[in-house]
Amino acid sequence: MAKKTLTKEEIIHLSKLANLSLTEEEIEIYGSQLSEILSYIEQLEEVDTSKVSSTAQVTELKNVTEEDEVKEERSIKDLAGLKVNKDNYFTVKRIR
Amino acid sequence: MDILKASISKLRQLIKDNKISSEEIVAQISERINKENPKLNALLTVVEKPEVNENMKDKPLYGIAFTLKDTYVTKGIRTTAGSRLLENYIPQYDATVYKKLKEAGAVLIGKTNCDAWGHGSSTENSDFGVTKNPWNQDYVAGGSSGGSAAAVASHLSPFSIGEDTGGSIRQPASFCSVVGLKVSYGLVSRYGSIAYASSLDTVGPITKTVEDCALVLDVIAGNDNQDATTNPAKPSHYSKSINNDIKGFKIGIPKEYFVEGIDKEVAEQVENSIKLFKKMGCEIVDITMPMTRYALSTYYLIATSETSSNLGRYDGIRYGNSRKDFGAEAKRRIMLGTFTLSAGYYDAYYKKATKVRTLIKNDFDQAFKKVDIILAPVSPTPAFKIGEKVNNPLQMYLSDILTIPVNLAGIPALSVPAGFTKYKLPVGVQLIGNRFEEEKLLNIGHKFEQERGELPSID
Repeated sequence: MAKKTLTKEEIIHLSKLANLSLTEEEIEIYGSQLSEILSYIEQLEEVDTSKVSSTAQVTELKNVTEEDEVKEERSIKDLAGLKVNKDNYFTVKRIR
Repeated sequence: MDILKASISKLRQLIKDNKISSEEIVAQISERINKENPKLNALLTVVEKPEVNENMKDKPLYGIAFTLKDTYVTKGIRTTAGSRLLENYIPQYDATVYKKLKEAGAVLIGKTNCDAWGHGSSTENSDFGVTKNPWNQDYVAGGSSGGSAAAVASHLSPFSIGEDTGGSIRQPASFCSVVGLKVSYGLVSRYGSIAYASSLDTVGPITKTVEDCALVLDVIAGNDNQDATTNPAKPSHYSKSINNDIKGFKIGIPKEYFVEGIDKEVAEQVENSIKLFKKMGCEIVDITMPMTRYALSTYYLIATSETSSNLGRYDGIRYGNSRKDFGAEAKRRIMLGTFTLSAGYYDAYYKKATKVRTLIKNDFDQAFKKVDIILAPVSPTPAFKIGEKVNNPLQMYLSDILTIPVNLAGIPALSVPAGFTKYKLPVGVQLIGNRFEEEKLLNIGHKFEQERGELPSID
């Protein structure tokens, strides 16, 4: 985790990955703010984790399974507030 | 008897003795909301016709009005998560916590303001305006569950359900002089809770007293087949054991929580709390938790990674507005999380953080071999002024430095009012318990509250 400053190009690349459209001003602000946050986060380098395993969750539960069951109240025709168009389909932009 | 200031336990008694009806309680609160909410902006949505079900008279929370943070989906009632992106979103189903409270006879009267998606420590990141602190309206109510804490403190709601990912229940509870419980991860179902960071998010009550907290937890705790991370074990009967004797309990004081940047008056309040525990016959034990200083970095890597993934679903196709409606903080966190999960940086940032998380969790596991609970400040400072930190995200993040370690370890912690600063701003004390030991935590919290005595409340 060497010292990391985010360049303008990297910010633009990240915004594309995240599907966010940023203004010029936002690109500049996020560039400096995220770099500042990353330089704070650099302190983690001090910690020796070579013999430590990851913790992604703390429940210690394993393989929680359940029968599949159909719930009528979640059927698409009852989904008020959804942008359901004709015949219970969603309309999306055409892929070019 | 002032109905608005009454605790849940008092209201239950009054209803049982036929001294007041649930309809009267709801009517008095509605009047109060109409008068106070325009000033405080604690509630984003007021339920037009709150439903009191007369057939539920034998239920534990019959007739008790409450509010939910606007991150819980409520069938037919607008749910925004504090974001413009969901300003018109009407959910099709109920969150489990809401369903359980309804089945216990409680009456939903409103949805409370919060930082959009839970991203924040002051509600200044709400797209619907800041919630003001009822104790001084120039100050923030805290966040992200600031609307819930302000609503309970200013008697707009006998209790509220908040959500705590990095301190979002405890910090506003401390800023507003109310009780807030962050539960063990897995004790309360997250089904229907709009996700911020799924491995850290927890659902918990904000109340006027510790006893009320236990009464609500009795209803909302427990396994749910809709949330695979809920603990299959049967929860305790929390309100039953709050009066147990706590003499001889060991209270751990971690020196790392009292370092630089702690406000003098906050430190004084915490010192006073330690004295009260001594007086009650508890043993004070100095402990050390060396990984504390790495918690904030670890949290901002894990939480932003998870939120960049969770907020990916808001594509504007199925429901909600387009991604253009994400506010500044949501975009900042999505960008940071996208970076830390991106090719070439995943191991150095996200993976590293999950390993340091293990060490932070180990710190707590070691500490709880020696002590029953850990006592610490909730936030390094009392409530700050509105606007004071908005242009400096890192400064804002630092206000969560003492609450975040608990979320990474998945353990419970209670914020209980301790007193006030000389400028009449509330200060809370944080009591941290071992995983799934809410029963002991609430018992100790209740005894502390009894020993502390009555504190001033909002008129």
